Amino acid sequence: MLPPAARLAARRLLGICSSSASEAAVSRLAPFPIAAASARGPVSSARPFSTALNYHIDSPENKPDMKWEFSEANMKKVKDILSHYPSNYKQSGIIPLLDLAQQQHGGWVPVAAMDAIAKIVEVAPIRVYEVATFYTMFNRTKVGKYHLLVCGTTPCMIRGSREIEDTLLEHLGVKRNEVTSDGLFSVGEMECMGCCVNAPMIAVADYSKGSEGYTYNYYEDLTPKRVIEIVEMLRRGETPPRGTQHPERKNSGPAGGNTTLHGEPKPPPCRDLDAC
Amino acid sequence: MAFLARALRQSNSRLSSRCPAVAASCRWISPTAAAGSPEAGAAVAPADPEMPPPREPVGGARVELPPNPEDALEVFVDGHTVRIPKGFTVLQACEVAGVDIPRFCYHSRLSIAGNCRMCLVEVEKSPKPVASCAMPALPGMKIKTNTPVAKKAREGVMEFLLMNHPLDCPICDQGGECDLQDQSMAFGADRGRFTEMKRSVVDKNLGPLVKTVMTRCIQCTRCVRFATEVAGVQDLGMLGRGSGEEIGTYVEKLMTSELSGNVIDICPVGALTSKPFAFKARNWELKGTETIDVTDAVGSNIRVDSRGPEVMRIVPRINEDINEEWISDKTRFCYDGLKRQRLNDPMIRGPDGRFKAVTWRDALTVVAEVLHQVKPEEITGVAGKLSDAESMMALKDFVNRMGSDKVLCEGNGPNPPADLRSNYLMNTGIAGLEKADVFLLVGTQPRVEAAMVNARIQKTVRATQAKVGYIGPPADFNYDHEHLGTGPQTLVEIAEGQHPFCSALQSAKNPVIIAGAGLFEREDQDALFSRIETIAKKFNVTRPDWNGLNVLLLHAAQAAALDLGLVANPAESIKSAKFLYLMGADDISLDKLPEDAFVVYQGHHGDKAVYRANVILPSSAFSEKEGTYENTEGCTQWTIPAVPTVGDARDDWKIIRALSEVAGAQLPYNSLSAVRDRISTVAPNLLHVDERELPTISSEVKPPAKQQMSSAPFKTVVENFYMTDAITRASKIMAQCSATLLKK
Amino acid sequence: MAAVVRGVLRGIKEKGLANFLREARDEGYLNCLLDGNLLQTKIHNIGATLVGVDKFGNKYYEKLHDTQYGRHRWVEYAEKGRYNASQVPPEWHGWLHHITDNTGDQLLAQKTARYLVEHKQNYSGEGEELIYHSKGHALNPGQRDWTRYQPWEPKKEQA
Repeated sequence: MLPPAARLAARRLLGICSSSASEAAVSRLAPFPIAAASARGPVSSARPFSTALNYHIDSPENKPDMKWEFSEANMKKVKDILSHYPSNYKQSGIIPLLDLAQQQHGGWVPVAAMDAIAKIVEVAPIRVYEVATFYTMFNRTKVGKYHLLVCGTTPCMIRGSREIEDTLLEHLGVKRNEVTSDGLFSVGEMECMGCCVNAPMIAVADYSKGSEGYTYNYYEDLTPKRVIEIVEMLRRGETPPRGTQHPERKNSGPAGGNTTLHGEPKPPPCRDLDAC
Repeated sequence: MAFLARALRQSNSRLSSRCPAVAASCRWISPTAAAGSPEAGAAVAPADPEMPPPREPVGGARVELPPNPEDALEVFVDGHTVRIPKGFTVLQACEVAGVDIPRFCYHSRLSIAGNCRMCLVEVEKSPKPVASCAMPALPGMKIKTNTPVAKKAREGVMEFLLMNHPLDCPICDQGGECDLQDQSMAFGADRGRFTEMKRSVVDKNLGPLVKTVMTRCIQCTRCVRFATEVAGVQDLGMLGRGSGEEIGTYVEKLMTSELSGNVIDICPVGALTSKPFAFKARNWELKGTETIDVTDAVGSNIRVDSRGPEVMRIVPRINEDINEEWISDKTRFCYDGLKRQRLNDPMIRGPDGRFKAVTWRDALTVVAEVLHQVKPEEITGVAGKLSDAESMMALKDFVNRMGSDKVLCEGNGPNPPADLRSNYLMNTGIAGLEKADVFLLVGTQPRVEAAMVNARIQKTVRATQAKVGYIGPPADFNYDHEHLGTGPQTLVEIAEGQHPFCSALQSAKNPVIIAGAGLFEREDQDALFSRIETIAKKFNVTRPDWNGLNVLLLHAAQAAALDLGLVANPAESIKSAKFLYLMGADDISLDKLPEDAFVVYQGHHGDKAVYRANVILPSSAFSEKEGTYENTEGCTQWTIPAVPTVGDARDDWKIIRALSEVAGAQLPYNSLSAVRDRISTVAPNLLHVDERELPTISSEVKPPAKQQMSSAPFKTVVENFYMTDAITRASKIMAQCSATLLKK
Repeated sequence: MAAVVRGVLRGIKEKGLANFLREARDEGYLNCLLDGNLLQTKIHNIGATLVGVDKFGNKYYEKLHDTQYGRHRWVEYAEKGRYNASQVPPEWHGWLHHITDNTGDQLLAQKTARYLVEHKQNYSGEGEELIYHSKGHALNPGQRDWTRYQPWEPKKEQA
């Protein structure tokens, strides 16, 4: 809350303003402190920044001196990725390689993997760390086999993404960015995925089948009830239908079928190109 | 107001024209007082609107236009016409026009980042203000630096920078010399509109030298660029994104660079400050003394900041030919060694083996008595690695007067190549190394022997992909190099043209060979150097227009000692000595010294050699005396006393002069200028201060060596970069550095 | 004057002569004989309200209505022989000098004295040992060492 002195000052000033007969005095005095006092309100405890740490903390499963290398199959992909870039600009391959490493390592990149990538593209490890910390899609701590990302941007938020997230967290019994005890699920937040017309939505990154069976599906038009059903289906190993979950909608079309564009659309007013 | 602006402007230009060094050190923020008001603008604008008179460049800097007029272009800065070379940025054009643009991320010696946006200026026909540091100047560009648009843009940037910057200037060590503080005086608002929580960032541990307060960081990335481009260690990076962005190493890692202290200077805010200097003093209490460094043979230009009798810190001075604006960590942080283990009283070892403090009169009488009891040829004088030319001159004169010619300087080896000056100097010059395209390092590890020379090589390698070949024991380099071999055998192979590196040397336009002064200590140094000269001749290293054959010296005293002729053979001189006069010489081997020899130690630190001494005479350290030093490229420079001497200590040459009088062989000089007159008869180049006297005779006249080359591999000369002499060995900070940073 | 004599007589009657004399000495009535200032204060005190007594025993009086404005607050020092203005502690200073109407006791009740040092009177002219000397002062017994370097100690290494 506010410091006591500021609170006192605000209250005193309110008193002055209400008792003062002069309108001018009110308008002169009022805006600054009262606005400040009311605008501040309770300071939210959540850090408004990215939730991931920008530095590494050693843990048993994530240490720089661990050995990590691409699998045999992925090594071929690495060669293929690097062949897209000139040999003196190998560092351009950092992002695809990090993505590959993330798929191989069950949804997250340990420091050892970043070091391995740095060696492959022949740059200092810090250059890879910079990239990996910049992109929020690279998880640098352990995630579940199904990483559920709830969109928190304005349209989804207006359509109830907070309830969706709360439901998910409560249902799974974890906090944000935590992994459930069976290692299956983790919940994260992300920014707009361009699915606003079907808000609210979540994206599910499925790392359960390695880099071969890796999928990244959107589930849209969610309700708290439906999201629990999706989680349970995933838990049973089923694949819920991706896209909109609204029974009457098809893709991003309106519920109950089209309301416009029933006939052949009128062509745009365009000059006859063939006549030229 | 108008009058004031004009007066300020004129006084600035007068100041900068008279003494550019002074003007360069004080940054001139473009006077914003003149920005808004029309009458102030009228005062700045000259009477004739057609041809405004040209203005002095910022800091009196000289701008060299290319010889071909097509490579120059003309821009207009605030209505003034400026001619600049092609490729200059808008910011540089403004500097030429005498307008200092505020900046945080731009640094003239680093690559351009363009991320602080403080340098916004208005350019005519450009819809938005442009970041001048990253915008190349185009012909006919009309740049306006003090318009309301530019001012408002900078004020906006400043407000964003201050949004997350803590208000801890009173407890910040950068306070008083902080770019953000200075520029917020010109562009900062007097109140903030930001009512949210300020960002806070976890502090990083970068080692015992650099203190981090990362919350103060404004993400200019100067330190990241410095570490990558100048120091050559890619440890620092920019992590995260948006407001969570921070500078760090990601994994726990110390900054293991010998230049890491420079990030303290380039940091525009107080995010990176000096750990040993933390909370010791405010910078406005300090007295700056412009002097030079003696911890290695480079002679980096430094400013010793002192408060009262105490050296508080050491910072670099700009000298484009020697250290640019960087100094090594040893130079910067050795100063606490000047306060520890100091000899402050003359002392005599009694019969019980204990030292007793005595008066100068008694000490000198005892020394003079012993001096007369030994035979003249048993007298030996050894100058230490930190000795200045004056005291070496006095020591040589004194020993010679006593009838002996055994006077030497440590580190110069059994048979110093003192006959030809080009045989012991860096003939290319430190700045000249930038023109080289192939380096051959023979028995030298510049990174630990002379960090500033190494920085030059690193700069060249980075800029031009110059090739570096190295012969010597396995060593750390911070640039790409080829390890060709470990001993003289490789030299033979190269001289005979059998080595693969020969092709690189053959195709090089400006090849450079750098031989380490560690080779002087080898018995077969004549043969080695003649082999190196064969290589030089074979690959056209020495030509009339290019002398690429260099020797990299190790100690500050070495070059001057060779100039003055302190060239006795140490092993023989020590073996036969009955009276040994050590003038700050701690690293000379005293194993062969006869048991009954009488040792006088004259120096400023109780280091290795005092334990063998019979008499101790305290002298002053480099920060306390005026002395002449010659660096490895042959540039003569002076130290200037910054603090008083400690206790009863005296200048080295004065002690020897006094001793000569007591001993009845009075030296004919009573003042420093008289000693320098004497030096002028031996080595006149030592009087041409701040000049490089090039060797005149080429090495062609050298007689052929008759020695046999041994096949013993080259040795590491400097084992511990942080502790090489009496001062650095006494320093706690250096001890801490060698404990944490050299740990493998 | 008659009231004074009546008061004295009543005092003797109530306390006995010996007690009365001791009290008169302790309260400084005997000093009044030599010290006109104290006598005037004592006379002034008659009919005044005692506002408070500070921790040193100084008494603070106030007399409104029939005193000249500006002379209506005064202090009777606890020490009768040697008194001076620096014996007034800071909390009473403001009241005494008409800076505030809050008495010292009120101020003490309001403020937490977390980091205040104990009030000390000024001993100037009372002997060097009583006077405060700063750390660097030559007369400070625990004088600061201005040596800024650490000399080499031969004994340490010889042993």
